[in-house]
Amino acid sequence: MQDHDIEKVLKAAGPRERPPVEIERAMRENLRQEWRSVVAERHGRQRRVALALAAGVMATAIGAWLVVPNFTAPAQAVGTVALTTGGLHAKSGRFGSWERAVPGAPVMTGQTLATEPTGRGAITLAGGISARLDQATRIGVAAADRLVIERGAVYVDAGADAAAAAPLEIVTAAGSVRHVGTQYEVRVLEGGVRVRVREGTVEWRTGSGPATSGRAGEQLTISDSRIERGRVEPHDQAWDWVAAAAPGIDVEGMSLTGFLDWAARELGRRVEFTTPEVAREAAAVVLHGSVAGLSPPEALQAVLATTRMQASLTDGLIVVAARQ
Amino acid sequence: MGCHRVEQDPSADRQLIRRMLAGDERAYEAFFNDYFPRLYRFALPRLNGDIEATRDVVQATLAKAMRKMADFRGESGLFTWVCQICRREAVDHIRARYRQSRAVVLIDDLPELRRAIEDIEAPDEFDLARAHDRAETGRLVRSVLDRLPSNYGDALEWKYMEGRTVEEIGARLGIGTTAAQSLLARARTAFREALEQAFGAEAADIAGNLGA
Repeated sequence: MQDHDIEKVLKAAGPRERPPVEIERAMRENLRQEWRSVVAERHGRQRRVALALAAGVMATAIGAWLVVPNFTAPAQAVGTVALTTGGLHAKSGRFGSWERAVPGAPVMTGQTLATEPTGRGAITLAGGISARLDQATRIGVAAADRLVIERGAVYVDAGADAAAAAPLEIVTAAGSVRHVGTQYEVRVLEGGVRVRVREGTVEWRTGSGPATSGRAGEQLTISDSRIERGRVEPHDQAWDWVAAAAPGIDVEGMSLTGFLDWAARELGRRVEFTTPEVAREAAAVVLHGSVAGLSPPEALQAVLATTRMQASLTDGLIVVAARQ
Repeated sequence: MGCHRVEQDPSADRQLIRRMLAGDERAYEAFFNDYFPRLYRFALPRLNGDIEATRDVVQATLAKAMRKMADFRGESGLFTWVCQICRREAVDHIRARYRQSRAVVLIDDLPELRRAIEDIEAPDEFDLARAHDRAETGRLVRSVLDRLPSNYGDALEWKYMEGRTVEEIGARLGIGTTAAQSLLARARTAFREALEQAFGAEAADIAGNLGA
């Protein structure tokens, strides 16, 4: 091929398309934050923004959140958007413009995240904490370990290992919640807050008062500083929205047992094998493929359909048996 | 047709990764400038030209690539590795958005051609050029350009489409004229071989198919 052949081919093929400038500009900065976050994590240099939060007055916490973006250090990447369905939007600082948040985008301190009335979203914070936003929810990212709920509900999964769980405080106008390695939901209600605990323990604190514990299966409804306790089972339908906002799991190379543990955690159930042989087979099965886009119940059925096993959901259990 | 590999030099890939993970801002800029446009063009047709979807998928891909960068083994070129992530992200995106398992399959997703234009490693004979219309052939030529090592595609475009001089190209790349001349020679060789591997045809035939 001579020079003129190359020229002819290139000219006939036409120039390569350039991405739209506004997309390139936005993505360059989004990914720069993500890259900085990766570098910081690798070097253990991720700093946490210290907010001047009056410890005893939660109303002040909300006020502090609103002015923080104007006065604190530059925003820090503290997590990543893991999933959006139906619309998740983010804006930086108090006066930033709303932009659609996409999976992979960094979550920054000073940002406000909001889901549409039909949208949900999930973010992954430092330490692997998954925070899921229900429909019509609006939260502020005050720091790496502090989210402020303005409206709606947030579900937190801090991981199965309570001892290793990263700290996180969920702040509401009425008080705040800290977990002790757990799964829980905090929902802002008209005139109060409701905290549901699916696993582990949380501590609810109003102002500088003593902490009130909530344990797995408990529901605390807080209104006018009164706390009413109720029950909500870990597999109750009340948790269904959480599964719909689950970021999914990469099953490639995972054992079936590992996948079942994930599904059990997402569905608030335990795994029970009908026989030791079934348990052994599950441990030996290595999964290939993807369950992206499937909810945990859908993924469970899709995965087991490729094996010689089947599962049924009962109260509190995923029962795995040999296929009949 | 040899087994010549025209991917980016693996040591250059590893060096770029090392610099990025060390926090070198220029390395990030180089990575973004090099990979973003090529990946965008890779993803766009796979998502039926949906710009919003392409933005989501490319961002998710590059974010994931940076998160996994430390695990990059160099078994394939860095761009090939990123494309593999992108392909999975595109399928996931389509599934998530439409809740169906319909994957968009492009001509260069065919395993044979993918091998040719991504790995650029000893493919079998292809006679696909005749099977595609002019637009598809043009797209594949541009796709081949994107698979060339860093700067080769740009240099060829500047030289043969924009009519830039070697001196201008050297200045744009921040290298001397001699180095630019040498880079252009390597770029021509790589492009010629990649085209022949991908199309199984001489340039004159490809140009003919393109109506040149």
